[in-house]
Amino acid sequence: MAKNPPFRRVLIANRGEIAVRITRGLRELGIESVVVHSDADARCAHVLAADHAVPLGGNTAAESYLDIQKVLAAAKKTGAEAIHPGYGFLSENSGFARAVREAGLVFVGPNPEAMERLGGKKAAREEAIAAGVPVIPGTEQDQGDASLIAFGKKIGMPVMVKASAGGGGRGMRMVEREQDLAEALAAGRREAKASFGDDRMILERAVFPARHIEIQLMGDQHGHVVSLHERECSVQRRHQKVLEEAPSAVVDEALRQRMGAAAVTLAKRVGYDNAGTAEFLLDPKGNFYFLEVNTRLQVEHPVTELVTGVDLVHLQLHVAAGGKLEQLLAGRDLRPRGHAIEARICAESPETGYIPAAGLLRLVHEAEGPGVRVDSGVYSGWEVPPYYDSMLAKLVVHAPDRATACARLSQALRGMVYLGIPTNVDFLRRVVDDEAFRTANISTDMLKHRPDLAEGPQGGPGDYTLAAAVLCQVLGKSGGNGSAPAAGSSGGTNGSTAVWQTLGGFRLFEGAR
Amino acid sequence: MKITREFVRDGKTVAVTAEFLEGDRWRVRIGDTVHEYEAKALGDGGVRLQSVGEGDRAFVAYGAALAKGYMVRVDGRTWTLEAPAGRRGAGASGGDGVVRAPMTGTVLEVACKPGDVVEAKQTLVVVSAMKMEHKLVAGVAGVVRKVVAQKGGTVDQGAELVVVEPHKAEETKP
Repeated sequence: MAKNPPFRRVLIANRGEIAVRITRGLRELGIESVVVHSDADARCAHVLAADHAVPLGGNTAAESYLDIQKVLAAAKKTGAEAIHPGYGFLSENSGFARAVREAGLVFVGPNPEAMERLGGKKAAREEAIAAGVPVIPGTEQDQGDASLIAFGKKIGMPVMVKASAGGGGRGMRMVEREQDLAEALAAGRREAKASFGDDRMILERAVFPARHIEIQLMGDQHGHVVSLHERECSVQRRHQKVLEEAPSAVVDEALRQRMGAAAVTLAKRVGYDNAGTAEFLLDPKGNFYFLEVNTRLQVEHPVTELVTGVDLVHLQLHVAAGGKLEQLLAGRDLRPRGHAIEARICAESPETGYIPAAGLLRLVHEAEGPGVRVDSGVYSGWEVPPYYDSMLAKLVVHAPDRATACARLSQALRGMVYLGIPTNVDFLRRVVDDEAFRTANISTDMLKHRPDLAEGPQGGPGDYTLAAAVLCQVLGKSGGNGSAPAAGSSGGTNGSTAVWQTLGGFRLFEGAR
Repeated sequence: MKITREFVRDGKTVAVTAEFLEGDRWRVRIGDTVHEYEAKALGDGGVRLQSVGEGDRAFVAYGAALAKGYMVRVDGRTWTLEAPAGRRGAGASGGDGVVRAPMTGTVLEVACKPGDVVEAKQTLVVVSAMKMEHKLVAGVAGVVRKVVAQKGGTVDQGAELVVVEPHKAEETKP
């Protein structure tokens, strides 16, 4: 990689774990980080990690992280030379990329022209067809509900309805019965309007059982594009990825080359630069169909980093500064080594209908050990705000082979402690330990057919759980450091005390009594 | 010293009493059963527990008090232990006919009005939180008596949104 820092100071227009991860990459390159934050995020992990922090005011995304003028003003004020958008928020907004450029700053992402040609699902699909990349049969545009419903009936159920502008599963639904089409379109339009400010929908044939395979791309400003191979993200729930891995257990070298070549052809056709991901569905016969391009760094980028040894954030910054891939990657063997799996830790309760939770994290203790990487955006005492995504952290493991990676992920999940609000940690561990995942017998609708994985084992707590609950109250952080606490600590000494009243609320940082 | 806590297990209140013996040793009485543990506090808020004489594996537990209850992670599994009945906080929509907001969010749609006859599991309100839509359904069949939720309004977790008066028992009998 290049020796000199590509920039002196870079602003990160994002929050939480990805903003923390980018500050880490910046620091490694000798670049100062500037972060922005809403009022609710004044003590968020990314603010604590950064060299400079600028308050944007407001709480909702629209008042803060999505406000282009506020973000640009923060960059101007701090003298940042470039803006890294992370994922979500403004990352796929070509208007923002253009505004950054017009302000005389560098956007760490694709040029807005390429972003526009690949950003919308419809535009991307047309480019893919023109590039000779296979696509799923479907509508090319939104001419209203009546025409979409008629087309759906023509190609037959099941069909997918999707937000034309979308990504991340927002506004996307599979419809299995014709009579459900109208309602699915209405709900999809609402979600799309709320997420992207654009309620146009498209409709296409559903491929299933399907595996979700995506190709990591990296382009420079000199017309060079490389494939950093596939990730498999087949374990999904309502089109939100749950577990992601690289390489895929079902992609052999020949298929890897074909899919990589298709993605590179598409990217070169539109003059793509910086990081991007071409998503495909793979059917059981080995046919792949282009879905969309995510014109940004993905949530699941760490699995690619672990198996290729490439730091994608470093690379993004170098190519954004004009670096050439053939020099940046000179002499590097980019073939995947070993196996990596990522689990998304979210503040939600799969056991009770995946209800998302906001609130105080009273105790956080994250896994560590050989081959374990945690990209986290939370800490003990952080109050998760209700305004943004429910993802708290990503747990990523790397091992010589898939079986070892599964075992490592299971053990690492065992060591993840988030107390105070519900999380999906136990659910993730059930999925990882399930025979279907261990044998890579996975598809995008797997979780829909396995409600038992969400529900978890039935039955009440065992004796040692109850014993642990009481002994933790006595000996945990709030109870002092010694093994023999002074008499009279937390609670009564006789009979049945009204513990739920005496214990009260926040005890984590209370001094020993 | 001796400490007693009450938890709900399988619908029954169970008293758990921990009594300090010596060194790291504690005697724990759960209902009529008595166990003995060696408990060592770790610096990170965890407690390592080893049963004495029962041959079980040692494990590290982490616990935190909630506003109404206790959360404990034991051997890689998290439990939310409930307070005995009567001291419990407001939950999500239950069988009592009160539909509450399961989380802080925005009301997208109100699909009922006072006087409506509704079925159990019928969608009454759609709430959006953390960028996802959630349908809130009637816990019981009955008649809508009160609609507090307003389209476009913000609701706090646990807030009452709709009250359904359940059908009287004789009406549902065949």
